[in-house]
Amino acid sequence: MSLLDATREAFRLLFAGDPELWGIIFLSLRVSVFGLLLALLPGVVAGYLLAMWRFPGRRALVVTVQSLLAFPTVVVGLVLYMLLSRQGPFGFLGLLFTQQAMILGQAILTFPILAAYTLAAVQGADARAHETAVSLGAGPLRAALTTLNETRFAVLAGVINGFGRAISEVGCALMIGGNIAGFTRNITTAIALETSKGEFAQGIALGVVLVVLALGVNVAMAILQGEGGMK
Amino acid sequence: MTPLLEFDRLRKSFGERRLLDLDRLEIEAGHAYVVTGGNGSGKTTLLRILAGLESAEVQGLKFQGDSRVGADARQRVVYVHQHPYLFHTSVAGNIAYGLKARGVNGALRQRLVEDAIVWAGVGLLRRLPPNKLSGGEKQRVALARAKVLEPSLYLLDEPTANLDGEGRRQTIDLVQKLTREGVGVLIACHDREIIELPGVRLFHLESGKLMPLA
Repeated sequence: MSLLDATREAFRLLFAGDPELWGIIFLSLRVSVFGLLLALLPGVVAGYLLAMWRFPGRRALVVTVQSLLAFPTVVVGLVLYMLLSRQGPFGFLGLLFTQQAMILGQAILTFPILAAYTLAAVQGADARAHETAVSLGAGPLRAALTTLNETRFAVLAGVINGFGRAISEVGCALMIGGNIAGFTRNITTAIALETSKGEFAQGIALGVVLVVLALGVNVAMAILQGEGGMK
Repeated sequence: MTPLLEFDRLRKSFGERRLLDLDRLEIEAGHAYVVTGGNGSGKTTLLRILAGLESAEVQGLKFQGDSRVGADARQRVVYVHQHPYLFHTSVAGNIAYGLKARGVNGALRQRLVEDAIVWAGVGLLRRLPPNKLSGGEKQRVALARAKVLEPSLYLLDEPTANLDGEGRRQTIDLVQKLTREGVGVLIACHDREIIELPGVRLFHLESGKLMPLA
């Protein structure tokens, strides 16, 4: 099949609503969204506390979070694999090669993004925002929520970026999901598999979806940054 | 009469530099106090310490005669920044903020916010976001946001700095209204018109010491 034929077939699969193809897409979305939601609260709280609290070892933690941004996804997959495999300390949970394991992996991958974006957002926020909240009688939680609300565009940029990383990563999902058809096969692992088999049509179709999602994420980021800049 | 706020000694240093070394001070309800002093003399720092926003060595601190200066006492003191920060919500939302933080809800909150809007003359601005307001309007909204909480002591940091014309005039009118309301008002400023308001007790801060001026 020529590249042109494969592309034509890819669009036919997409628009014909091929159940296997769309099943993979929805599985990807579900795993990424749940992974993101799992990391959302810890990531934002960690970023906020790192920005607001001064304590010994803070600098080292900030550097660690920032380093984790560029951490290879395949290494996260390797560590999780070792922890979740039958011989690993959490093997008894029976999570390896399940969607739950993939969600956990994507939560670990998105956590540093959420923490780093929140840290940068709160550190870059006008210090008067938190101070004004406190001087008007807000307790620590309300003052924190107010500060996060004042920096919501920058924090949301972290959420969008986190989703972008989760939906597009392949290493972790492949290692701990196992690429099982209909169960743990997501967009990226399916592309890798189909391409290795020489079946380009499904790979191209899924690639188109991934590119559209990546573009959507970037457009959303640009819109948010524009909104934030106007305030 | 028990002072609204008093302390026997207040000291504040930044590293080796001693910024403030004040002896006894009493702030009474129903009076306006103005602190003048050059840039960097510590006026803003003094206000921030009294607002609980900055730490310092303070001896004999009492609020209305009570040395247990806890959250309740802190809630009766409101600090208004030289360049007030308004939250990214409407003017009415900004004025309601402190009431929400204190758990005042429903019709009472709405009524108090309306009263404060009328008091500050910002009725036409009520639905505007802060980025549509001038400096003078922001200052008036900040004063309304403080007033709605009915504090016993206002700490106003340069309320007319960087304002001119109508904005400055309206802000001075509001400060004057406050000074007539039986509360304590401590103002850091250089504005002659505020200094010369009737009944103002004037202090000058220099070399870390606060000196009363006639």
